[in-house]
Amino acid sequence: MRFVLVTTVKDVRRRLADPAALVLWIGIPLVLSALLNFIAGTNSAAPRARLLIVDQDNTVLSRLIPTAAGQGNSPIDTQVVTLDQGRRLIDAGDATALLILPKGFQAAVFGTGAANLRLLTNPSQRILPGIVQQGSEVLVDAAFYVQRLFGGPIRRIADQTGKGPPDAADVAVIAVEINRQITALQGSLLPPVISVATKAADPAAAPTPNFGQVFLPGMLFMSFLFIASGMSGDIWDEKQHGTLRRLMATPQSPGSLLLGKLLAGAAVSAVVALVGLLAAVMQFDLAWSRVPLALVWCAFGSSAIMALLMVMQTSAGSQRGGELLASVLTFPLMMLGGSFFPFESMPAWMVGIGQWTPNGLAVARLKDLMYGSVSPAALGVAALGIGIPAAAAFALTWRRLWSFARA
Amino acid sequence: MIDVQHLRKQYGDLVAVNDISFTAEPGQILGLLGPNGAGKTTTIGCISGLLKPTSGRVSAMGHDVVADGPAARRHLGIVPQELALYEDLSAAANLEYWGSAYGMSGDTLRRRVGEVLELIGLADRGRDRTSKFSGGMKRRLNFGCGIVHSPRVVLLDEPTAGVDPQSRVRLLELVRQQAHAGATVIYTTHYMEEAQTLCDQIAIVDHGKLLASGTLDELRGLVGEKDLLRLTGRFEPAAASSALASLEHLEVLTVTADTLTIAATGASRKLPAIFSALAAAGAEIQETKLSVPSLESLFITLTGRELRE
Repeated sequence: MRFVLVTTVKDVRRRLADPAALVLWIGIPLVLSALLNFIAGTNSAAPRARLLIVDQDNTVLSRLIPTAAGQGNSPIDTQVVTLDQGRRLIDAGDATALLILPKGFQAAVFGTGAANLRLLTNPSQRILPGIVQQGSEVLVDAAFYVQRLFGGPIRRIADQTGKGPPDAADVAVIAVEINRQITALQGSLLPPVISVATKAADPAAAPTPNFGQVFLPGMLFMSFLFIASGMSGDIWDEKQHGTLRRLMATPQSPGSLLLGKLLAGAAVSAVVALVGLLAAVMQFDLAWSRVPLALVWCAFGSSAIMALLMVMQTSAGSQRGGELLASVLTFPLMMLGGSFFPFESMPAWMVGIGQWTPNGLAVARLKDLMYGSVSPAALGVAALGIGIPAAAAFALTWRRLWSFARA
Repeated sequence: MIDVQHLRKQYGDLVAVNDISFTAEPGQILGLLGPNGAGKTTTIGCISGLLKPTSGRVSAMGHDVVADGPAARRHLGIVPQELALYEDLSAAANLEYWGSAYGMSGDTLRRRVGEVLELIGLADRGRDRTSKFSGGMKRRLNFGCGIVHSPRVVLLDEPTAGVDPQSRVRLLELVRQQAHAGATVIYTTHYMEEAQTLCDQIAIVDHGKLLASGTLDELRGLVGEKDLLRLTGRFEPAAASSALASLEHLEVLTVTADTLTIAATGASRKLPAIFSALAAAGAEIQETKLSVPSLESLFITLTGRELRE
């Protein structure tokens, strides 16, 4: 056991002799996370669409559109502009969409004419123009159904426009006609087949997840994957420099060497994890009491990943091949395991796969250990899920180390 | 001590070591002499336990290196042909690590590391990173790592390959010191003069076979008092052999279309007679090389070619 620790200390000292690699292992995840955060936006407020409306109809109905579009919880801010202003703003990318209500819009809605609505969208935006387009289509569909159902009364009202207030007989006829349509539809519309219950979430019970909660566990495991990839490749350095053959000629077991290397990886990862967890305590509301177990979990997870990568390294026929195999495993694990993108923003099918990768399993439980709750049983199952493949990989590497050293 | 009996190592159809046997006693330097590819490193690999013999038996200090590997390896110190060092660690850290690999620790290890640094002439550079060392210094440290645990058997695989003359002298002196201290030393080399000046026992190997072994004097005795005459040019092998058969105290060792090797007593005095006999046989001599009895001449006698070929 003493030689295991001696090997661990030796490998850690060798890592410290190469600070550039350490900086890269920690720096790459930081830079990637910063970029992702920048792309996703640092403001937690929901993005809003800016809709420019050109009103060429200038009727009662067309003047109602800007107000209606921005009502309630609508994510759309509207602004009435001239055609020139609208063109300039949309060309400059300063708006989400430009809606042109042509002359004859009201008449078309009332069923006495035809009109083409034109919607120009901003191609540099992806989601918000879609919202505006769908909103516009709903508006047109609504106009169509209103016209089909209440075309008669609407035309009567339209005919009265500009002729002063309608007399009592006209109002009565319109009212009777509308009532008749509603009565005819009652059988189809009532009672409603779908009922919607709106429940306001208690803000205290479901707090908005912060950066540390969403990104930090994945970021830490991205670092561990880089560390494991680099330090598992050290077995090739040992082989190329002849130290592996020399070690095999000593009375020590190859298992001691491998275990020492895994512990060295765990030690380096633990230092990185400690920095990350302390940052989470200071910036992202992590409780001090959760740090020790999270730290142990990080060290365990990283050494398990290193055991898996070490078997890949020793399977290759050359150092370059080993690096390639390790990368082939590392990057998909990062993508699926919640390191590049948090599980919260991944499609359900991807989460389904990712949560069962060794690092994904570790990331999910780390989130629980840091900010949620996890039962000892669930933690034990996760530990077995990570530990059993790692132990098998360790045994396989141990077994093939003699032939690897001789080759 | 080291005892090798009928050692054979085969890779597929290639027989790297073929039925080699020898014994080396404590305090003795046994040289394995042979050209590159003769099977020296494979033999060292089998002794150190890195390679599993196809057949035969190797024991170190009474422990079988296959059946009782860890116990045998505890007594071995390896100085490999290629440098086997952690260049990103200091000289002292390297020595400490390899000492730990043999179970040393604490004050014993620290004291021994200091002694070895002194011995290999790196006492003032012990804390320096190995990557900053010259080739000769690295060679000495490579040697130091092999003896830091005071092994009873030291295996040196061409430790002076590519070393400058000064470092070579220093390394050879270090090897002698190990033997004087009672260690059994197995030393592989393809340098004839190293084997002659350093080794108490010499085993000549080629193509995986042990051709001859013994002390330097015993091996010289195998050649006898005869000089070795090596001629190059153009020869008719049958005609050349029959032409020389009439000369007394002369033996044709090998003859091909372009080389002729002769062992003869007082060969220098016989040169005119040899030349005229060969001229009569239609031979054309381009180069003549005369050697007095030595390992070189023994190697040529045994293999028909020079060691460097």
